[in-house]
Amino acid sequence: MLRLENISKSYLQRGLVLDKLDLQVNKGDSLAITGPSGSGKTTLLNIIGLMDHPDSGDVFFNGSSILSYGPDESARYRNRNIGFVFQDHLLLSHLNIKENILLPLLASGNHRNDFKEKAEYAGVLMEKTGIASLGDKFPFQISGGEAQRATLVRALVNKPSLLLADEPTGSLDSKNAYLLGNLLRDLNEELGVTLIVVTHSSDLASMMKLNLKLDNGRLVK
Amino acid sequence: MKPGMLKIITRSLIFYRKDAVYQVIIVLLLSAIITGSLLTGTSVRNSLRRTSDQKSGNARIIVSSGQRFFSSTLADKLSVRTGKRAVAILETEGYCSNFLTGSTSLNVRIFGVNDEFFQWNSSDSLSIMPGDAAVNSKLAEELELKPGDEIIIKFKPVDPLPSNAPFAPSKDDESSKVLRVSHILTAESGGNFSPGISQVIPKTLFINISDIDDGIDGKFNANRILFSSGTADSVLHPLVEVTSLSDIGFTVRRSEKTGESEIISDRIFIDSILVSDILAKIPSGSPVLTYLVNSFSFNGRTTPYSFVASIPSSVFPGISDDEILLNRWLAKDLEIEPGDSVVLRWYDTTFGNHLEENEKTFRVSRILDDNNKYADPLLMPDFPGISGSTTCSGWDAGVPILLDQIRKKDEEYWNSFRGTPKAFINYSEGKKIWGNNFGVATALRFPGSLAPQDIEKSLYGSLDPVDAGLTVTDIRKAGASAASEGVDFSSLFLGLGFFIILSCLILFSLAVTIFFDTRRNDVRAYYSLGFRNRQIKLFLFSEITALSVIGAIPGVFCGLLVNRIVISALNSVWQGAVQTNTLSSDFSLVPLIAGFISVITLTAVVIYIKTSSFLKRMNVSSEEKSKSRFLSSYFFLILVTLVLTIGLFLSAVLYRNAETILFFAGGVFLFGLFILLLRYYYLYEPGKKEKDSFSVRRLSKKYYNHNPSHAITPAVIIAAGIFAVIITGANRQVVSDKMLLPEGGTGGYLLWGESAIPVKEDLNLDKSRKDYGFESEEFREMSFVQCCRVSGDDASCLNLNHVTSPPILSVDPKYFIDKGSFSFVSSLTKGNNTVTWAMLDEKPGENTIYGIADQTVLKWGLKVNIGDTLKFRAENGQILNVIIAGGLKSSVFQGNIIIGSRNFSEFFPSVSGSSIFLIDGNKKYKDLYINTLQERLSSYGLFVQSAGEKLSSFFVVTNTYLDVFVILGVFGLILGVTGLGFVLARNYNLRKREFAFLAATGYTQESIRSFILTDQIIILFWGIAAGTISGLAATFPSLQNDGDIPWNQILYMVLAILVTGIISLLISVRRITSRSLVSQLRRE
Repeated sequence: MLRLENISKSYLQRGLVLDKLDLQVNKGDSLAITGPSGSGKTTLLNIIGLMDHPDSGDVFFNGSSILSYGPDESARYRNRNIGFVFQDHLLLSHLNIKENILLPLLASGNHRNDFKEKAEYAGVLMEKTGIASLGDKFPFQISGGEAQRATLVRALVNKPSLLLADEPTGSLDSKNAYLLGNLLRDLNEELGVTLIVVTHSSDLASMMKLNLKLDNGRLVK
Repeated sequence: MKPGMLKIITRSLIFYRKDAVYQVIIVLLLSAIITGSLLTGTSVRNSLRRTSDQKSGNARIIVSSGQRFFSSTLADKLSVRTGKRAVAILETEGYCSNFLTGSTSLNVRIFGVNDEFFQWNSSDSLSIMPGDAAVNSKLAEELELKPGDEIIIKFKPVDPLPSNAPFAPSKDDESSKVLRVSHILTAESGGNFSPGISQVIPKTLFINISDIDDGIDGKFNANRILFSSGTADSVLHPLVEVTSLSDIGFTVRRSEKTGESEIISDRIFIDSILVSDILAKIPSGSPVLTYLVNSFSFNGRTTPYSFVASIPSSVFPGISDDEILLNRWLAKDLEIEPGDSVVLRWYDTTFGNHLEENEKTFRVSRILDDNNKYADPLLMPDFPGISGSTTCSGWDAGVPILLDQIRKKDEEYWNSFRGTPKAFINYSEGKKIWGNNFGVATALRFPGSLAPQDIEKSLYGSLDPVDAGLTVTDIRKAGASAASEGVDFSSLFLGLGFFIILSCLILFSLAVTIFFDTRRNDVRAYYSLGFRNRQIKLFLFSEITALSVIGAIPGVFCGLLVNRIVISALNSVWQGAVQTNTLSSDFSLVPLIAGFISVITLTAVVIYIKTSSFLKRMNVSSEEKSKSRFLSSYFFLILVTLVLTIGLFLSAVLYRNAETILFFAGGVFLFGLFILLLRYYYLYEPGKKEKDSFSVRRLSKKYYNHNPSHAITPAVIIAAGIFAVIITGANRQVVSDKMLLPEGGTGGYLLWGESAIPVKEDLNLDKSRKDYGFESEEFREMSFVQCCRVSGDDASCLNLNHVTSPPILSVDPKYFIDKGSFSFVSSLTKGNNTVTWAMLDEKPGENTIYGIADQTVLKWGLKVNIGDTLKFRAENGQILNVIIAGGLKSSVFQGNIIIGSRNFSEFFPSVSGSSIFLIDGNKKYKDLYINTLQERLSSYGLFVQSAGEKLSSFFVVTNTYLDVFVILGVFGLILGVTGLGFVLARNYNLRKREFAFLAATGYTQESIRSFILTDQIIILFWGIAAGTISGLAATFPSLQNDGDIPWNQILYMVLAILVTGIISLLISVRRITSRSLVSQLRRE
């Protein structure tokens, strides 16, 4: 499903971050990537999500190279195929939780029927993640764990095939971190969403089927 | 519940309303200034139009004869023919004194009217009896007059014969009357009636026509006919149809001696164009030109003061141009025979008072009987000073008559034959030697078979009145056009408020940047959710634009308030700019809409740029690399600017003739360099060694490293404000020593004089100096340049209207060439002053001459360039083309067109006497000259002032504009300092986390305050230094001269900014307290 070949990326002051990195992810996989701060974990996710570009190498999604995508194609790719979860929940403060969750539908310009179907799907996901009652609340009115679950629902509302989570439990307490980890695993198994999680948390990593470590710019087991 | 775009934007605006309030306020201010400026333009335009309408009274169409007169019966005939009421009036120049107090008001417009005028012009059935006068409120206020008071008026007499016409009597050139003020007329009752293009309310005086012109049988001489309706064409055609010979000063009579009919003019000489017109209609007619010769001389014998007629060759066939026929009386007196040569001497009066005696030798062809067929006393024109005289020695011929040369036999001839010509020459020769600017014939003679009434009949309605100097003008249309094309106060105030507008836009840009900073996470979320760049841009753009709309709507209504304030300031403290206090605020929807659209457009451009750059920054993946590349090119830009700055200053030193513009350009580049350096200082990342030595100081700088605009914006506003004030101060116009030099605006002349009534005498002549008592030693160096003037609409900066007919001045260019007076900004001769002045005497084509005017008048008043042609009506109604040969550097002549005196005499022969004087003399007697001249030429209403004062009177307008600019500039500076405070407030808000952590790690409140303050002080000082140093550098030439630099103003302003800035910094930094930081920490 996703294949990275010879991906290299360097910064002027940080030097080489990714060094001819290769990665193969199959549909339905759940992969945890760990590594020290500054090792390039977020950079790797950003490259997969086309939020950043490598200096060299190529990225294939469903067999097609995606690095040549222009800004609009990249946006469409993210909207249709990728779900993002960040350490900071990045919920829009001025929209309530339900609106935040439905926001990706606006970007994709869904047809009325599609919208209805996906709105219902969002309801299911909210139910499943335990935030069904929070739809009318604003981000500053809910807890960090709830916000992160809302972010997760928002990432899944467009039924992406790949979920990228960047330190999703980084700002959560252990209880909420545990709950979110379980939720990610369940969603991976139930919905068949391919999952790549970047984390420092060994607990969260252990919940994933595959574990890789980013070391000196390369992924090692 | 799909979150539609509008909903998201609305929610966002509500949520971020506290951050948005700054933008709304800034946009509100911006729209108030822009809309206020646009409304000011509309208000001024409408006010000008109203003033013009008020001054026109009921008049819409005006028939004018300029310097000439016509019979008032013409108005009656036009009324009948057009079916519209027409009123004839007589307008003249003069001045007025309060009989009791002696106070005098010059430049009063005097109207001789009958009762019909007031019935026509206003609803009041006002009647002015002979001996009474009605004055308008302005004149009454100036002279402190009330009904019943007595006044003396002096005015140019009404005489169809121009006083400078050949042999016009040398009678007094002004008339005076003592009148009783019967009415004080308000504007509403038509008191400000005064057709013309100017916003200045005139001083008017209305008197009974009989007090100014005797009239016969209810007919009087008039020079204006007024219509309240119609168009110029609808009056012009009937005017042609009803104009008779008598209406334009012609008389048709029969000569008893010859039996011929003849047309004569009350102007004595008949214009060549009218001669041609009449002879074209009645080809059997012939011109005759009779002239007074000073002497006939032959063989030591002389016959003085005789008339010679030049007649058609058909009367005495066979004589050539060099031959002359003498009557027997003369032949006997000279003892001359046919074949002898006789010398004729006469005064050439072509150029007014400059009499030259010319002579020509003729061969005597024949001797005629004293009672020959053309021995006709009617051939002598009806010269007023001659024809009524009983003796030759009693003649007042307007030229020197040597009484001792008049013999008894000459008196006997006069008693017996009056002015019967003693000799005859061919008309073609007579025209050549005696034809002059006033005409080429003294009569047109027709065969006896044509009765006078036949001639009148055949010429009735067939002569072009334009050829008699009559013009028809739609004054309403002209007034409206002059107002709408006049000074554009919209652009002017947009320009004057430019600094505020710029400040607002910069602050708005900064506010948008800060607003975006708070939205970074939102944008990240949009990106991660797959929103496209243009969708995100649309979100942000729409949000800020919505804020602009919210600010602009009340802003345009605040513009109404700004307009009111500006108009009241123009009517009071800024009156110098408009010369009137009659402006009023007007509401108009168009400026409001235009203001709204302009503001939305301007802010939309800023928003678009800011949104694009913000999203671009959000998208940059390799920031460090880009920044490195950016810094390299930025450093290169600084180097280029530095080199250009140094280059410009060096060029300014080397090329002194272009130093002003080069220093200014250098100053602007230096300004840019200062700003670039400040930006570079904050963008620059220190080297590794310094980087490793981490310090609190660096922490502060690091903030600006990421947000350089937060440092640059306040610095730019402060610097630009100071720069603008210094530039403005340096450009304040004052009369410097340079301007008093010959090449300066005074032409090197000591005094400037203007007379209400033209002065006929040449004041440089010994006779005049003797007459006026200018013979003592103190007056030895006093000399005059006298200029005649054709009245027109003031084209100087003092007139807000667009003027197309400025006053025309005559100047003898030799005075300015000899003295090296005045300088040209531009000329057809590329800067050769002498040749440019000399061009005034040239005539490059038929009815085409050269003219000169102030460059400012050309550019702003007349809106023409060098080489363009202005079209005027010459006195005889023909088009006079004036090619602009040069544009004078700011001079005392501002508002006028200057033409050569020779050409002036040709095209405006009836303008007799000088109205404008440039007076030279010994500086130490300046006050003596002023007092003496005003006293001794008081009968002409002469007003004298120093030439420097005259020149500075034109600076009032510019200086007032500069004052406005300074005031608005200071307001802009206040905005700048406010902006600084705004940035600080936002800055602290955004950095409170940073400060909280510093506090947590042990930094004291004082040390945190100190490091914040350091950068703010740097920005403040850098802004002040950049503005002051570059401003002074840009105006270096002015500093070297003795320009009126408002040093105190600049110093106080800089100190005020410094003190205000430091105080506001200290106050704002006090917001950072240990308690606030601790509370922030708790939240974290």
